[in-house]
Amino acid sequence: MIRNFFVIAWRNIFRSKLHSIINVAGLALAIACAILIVLYTRDEASYDRFHTKADHIYRLTADFTDAEGKIKGRNGVSGMVHGPAFTRNIPEIDSFVRIKSEFYSVRVKGEVFAQEAFMTDENFFAVFDFPLLHGHPDAALQDVHALVLSEEVAEKFFGSKDVVGRTLELNMQDSFVPFTVSAVAKKSPQNSSIKLAMVLPMKASNEFNDDQWINFWMNTFLVLRSDANIDRVIAKMDQVYNREAKTQIEEAKTKYDWKETMHFGLQPLLDMHLSTDYGANNGLRDASNPMYSYMLSAIAIFIMLIACINFINLSIGRSMRRAKEVGIRKVVGSSRKQLQWQFLGESYLLTAIAFVAGLALAQALLPFFNSLANKSLSFSYLLDAGLVFTLMVLFFITGLLAGFYPAIVLSAFDPVTTLYNKIRFAGKGYLAKALVVLQFAMATLLIIGTMAMYAQFNFLTHYTLGYNDKHLIEVNIPNSDYNKAKRLAGYFAQLQGVEKIAIKNVGFNYTGGKVDGKTVDFAFDAIDENYLPTLEIPIVTGRNFSRDYSGDTMSNVLVNETFAKQMGWADAIGKQIAFWNDKQLQVIGVVADYHFSSLKEKIGPQLFVMGGDRNYGLLELKINPNQIPEALRQIEQTYRRIIPTKAYAYEFRDQLNANEYEQESKWRMMLLFGAAVTIFISCIGLFGLSVLNAEKRRKEVGIRKVLGASVAQLTSRMTLEFLALVAIALCIALPASWWLVRMWLENYPYRIGLHWPLFAAAAAVVITLAIITVVFKAAQSAMSNPVNSLRTE
Amino acid sequence: MLLSLQNIFKWVTIGGQRTFLLKDINLTINEGEFVSIMGPSGSGKSTLLNVIGMLDNFNEGQYHFMQEEVHKLKEKQLAQLYKQYMGFVFQAYHLIDELTVYENIETPLIYKDIKPAERKAMVADMLDRFQIVGKKDLFPAQLSGGQQQLVGIARALIGKPRLILADEPTGNLNSKQGEEIMELFKQLNQQEGVTIIQVTHSERNAAYGTRVIELLDARIQHESY
Repeated sequence: MIRNFFVIAWRNIFRSKLHSIINVAGLALAIACAILIVLYTRDEASYDRFHTKADHIYRLTADFTDAEGKIKGRNGVSGMVHGPAFTRNIPEIDSFVRIKSEFYSVRVKGEVFAQEAFMTDENFFAVFDFPLLHGHPDAALQDVHALVLSEEVAEKFFGSKDVVGRTLELNMQDSFVPFTVSAVAKKSPQNSSIKLAMVLPMKASNEFNDDQWINFWMNTFLVLRSDANIDRVIAKMDQVYNREAKTQIEEAKTKYDWKETMHFGLQPLLDMHLSTDYGANNGLRDASNPMYSYMLSAIAIFIMLIACINFINLSIGRSMRRAKEVGIRKVVGSSRKQLQWQFLGESYLLTAIAFVAGLALAQALLPFFNSLANKSLSFSYLLDAGLVFTLMVLFFITGLLAGFYPAIVLSAFDPVTTLYNKIRFAGKGYLAKALVVLQFAMATLLIIGTMAMYAQFNFLTHYTLGYNDKHLIEVNIPNSDYNKAKRLAGYFAQLQGVEKIAIKNVGFNYTGGKVDGKTVDFAFDAIDENYLPTLEIPIVTGRNFSRDYSGDTMSNVLVNETFAKQMGWADAIGKQIAFWNDKQLQVIGVVADYHFSSLKEKIGPQLFVMGGDRNYGLLELKINPNQIPEALRQIEQTYRRIIPTKAYAYEFRDQLNANEYEQESKWRMMLLFGAAVTIFISCIGLFGLSVLNAEKRRKEVGIRKVLGASVAQLTSRMTLEFLALVAIALCIALPASWWLVRMWLENYPYRIGLHWPLFAAAAAVVITLAIITVVFKAAQSAMSNPVNSLRTE
Repeated sequence: MLLSLQNIFKWVTIGGQRTFLLKDINLTINEGEFVSIMGPSGSGKSTLLNVIGMLDNFNEGQYHFMQEEVHKLKEKQLAQLYKQYMGFVFQAYHLIDELTVYENIETPLIYKDIKPAERKAMVADMLDRFQIVGKKDLFPAQLSGGQQQLVGIARALIGKPRLILADEPTGNLNSKQGEEIMELFKQLNQQEGVTIIQVTHSERNAAYGTRVIELLDARIQHESY
């Protein structure tokens, strides 16, 4: 019996090639997408699971709450004291390990490399499972001047992996200190938040002496006993903190007007990768957002549904042809159940073919998908029982989804009606129509989402930043005081092609201060008098820093417009600001607001100082656009000559700005392809339906033609019937997408407005595609000779 | 007695009005009979045949088939009953287009759960008997009408039915092919004792049988032997 079913299914597939191709192609494409997305989500969920102690490792977190108990800040990082203090006082905590990411200039055989390193505790390799190729995990970090290299870094430095015992030098506070390689670690798994490059013991550097509780700059991991009660441990941590940090808390409250309360927490290691509250940062890699998994899964479900809808609609539409067979089979003794199994089996056969094609397609698309998703997924490293099981579930659900309803409908045909040609399709096919509406609604939703993402991306990347980031390069220099940094900058100022040069502190500093009795949080930058002119940022009132005023490096500051506005100053000049060491500072000018951080954040208050005891570590150079290669070459040469202890690196500011939106850029591509696949599968489904419709209505078309209808009338009549469905889909999709897109845009303080042209454009795209899809078949059937269609019967 | 119908009524309600398809049918058919049902279009011939074949139900009356009270049986039991004892032959042959001659004839055996080896022997016998061995791998579309009907009859006979129900079996055939088919029926009836009920328009075809039932407006108008 199975053979008989199989034979007939196989012959049916070949007999109706168009129908089979539409079904298999649509399903295969959908399955390929689903498989890629399954790989993506499995990879996301597999992060950090390879550690044997994974279930017992937690990362220390800290929340700040204000007087009303509202959370003001969440912190995934901690300081030096927390780990040891908690482990000492709480018996449920077995051990702690701290990780701090640092950049070092490394000298190997005379060559200087810039290399990231993890400063960590000696038990690092006992807590985390990073296998060593050479060396012993217990001894690897025992010696103060021992370090561990990953195989890639060993290869980079020495051209070999077996380098235990070799020496290299690290630049620590301006002098090179020799270290010995004690072990070489295997390349870290790609689904690891901790990616080893160079690991050295914390005690190697004396910068790690810090007794502050309210200071957060490294990751602390705690290993808990397997019987530990997490809530109780958390309660104990707060107790320990309140006891041991008592004087520090008092000091912060009285001296700095600190009003917040701090609570510690434990984040399971396995939650870290996908956490939005406490992301994997400060040296930890690949921080992600479960949103991406959800979004991709939603797209996968959309696409699968649409492909299954095609299958259902085409199977039902074709049921006329199969009705006779059903009647005969019933007459010669088949039960309804046997017929259901037969039809379900057929849909599984098609699904199986589509699945094989889908797997091959997924494999072929993998490199492309990887570049979109910024991953390096492959079947081989994700292949496990779980993946096989997931794929099997996908297969069974697809076959069932596609085949169940057609099986029910087809097996219900009654022999008397089918065999005596009494069969009539009196039903209006509401189901098929509803499914088409659903398909096009989903496709429209994705198209609008994609268009909105493109528009927003365009908006972000073309937004006026308030400064000129063109031909501006940034070069890191060793941390220096004002005078030394000025001196270094002097070397570069004379170079050919360098138009302007300024110095600045590295990165972003935020701090708080007391102004007119009010506490303000603000960004805090150390610059020189050339900074604002180099970036072409205008002064609104007052004046820029100048070397002619000695007070400018002592107690004079600039603020931005937002700062002044937030303080409610009509005239900011001469206003007093007091912060950290109670020094009184005086405002000498107001700077126009500019986007000093990403456009994903609103411009906040900003304050500039010059000189004093601040650290400078960044050169901003404005390059003549006609002399870029020459300028770059000279800058590098000069750098190597005057700063031989540090590896040279430069970045273009506009490129750095563009990198801020890399995620948006990837995701708009991802969505674009999702939308393209969705609309494509919807259209081939619609095409299949239009073919069936033309077939079913041959007679009607013949009669209408005999009665005098023109080809144009008939074509437009049949096309409009389909367009009505698309119109209903638009009615559903437009408001839904408006709502969804608006919700998404609310994540951006600077965003596009939602106007009707966006929606009109999407509607136009969908309608045009639908017309192209159905009009040909409609015209073809309208042009057919009525004699042929009316003669039979 | 093979089967008997007592006071069978069948109707449909259209626009609140009952239209009778069968009206008070009383009929007994014994084993070994060759019955022809005649009458004008719309008189209820096919409906009567389908009721006897249990493909169609009726609204009132009693139907006994081989001591079973058909009107009290459930769908499943009905299927079991006709699967075992009846074979159907249609005017339009109704072969499955996607199956070969061999596979078409084999299909009823599959639904009777007969073992493959046994099926093979039975189908081979049948092909031999109808002299269509050479055509066994052809598809219905590759055969003439008469050949298709032969396959249809072979399929009806393969399950060794006690009763053959034929709805205008020669309606789509030319007169020579038609005669061959009728000869075949006669032979089956006389030599193997298979009961046959056929619906026909033609007096000549009716003459092959032993009994004629004439229907008019859903009633039995006349019976003759």
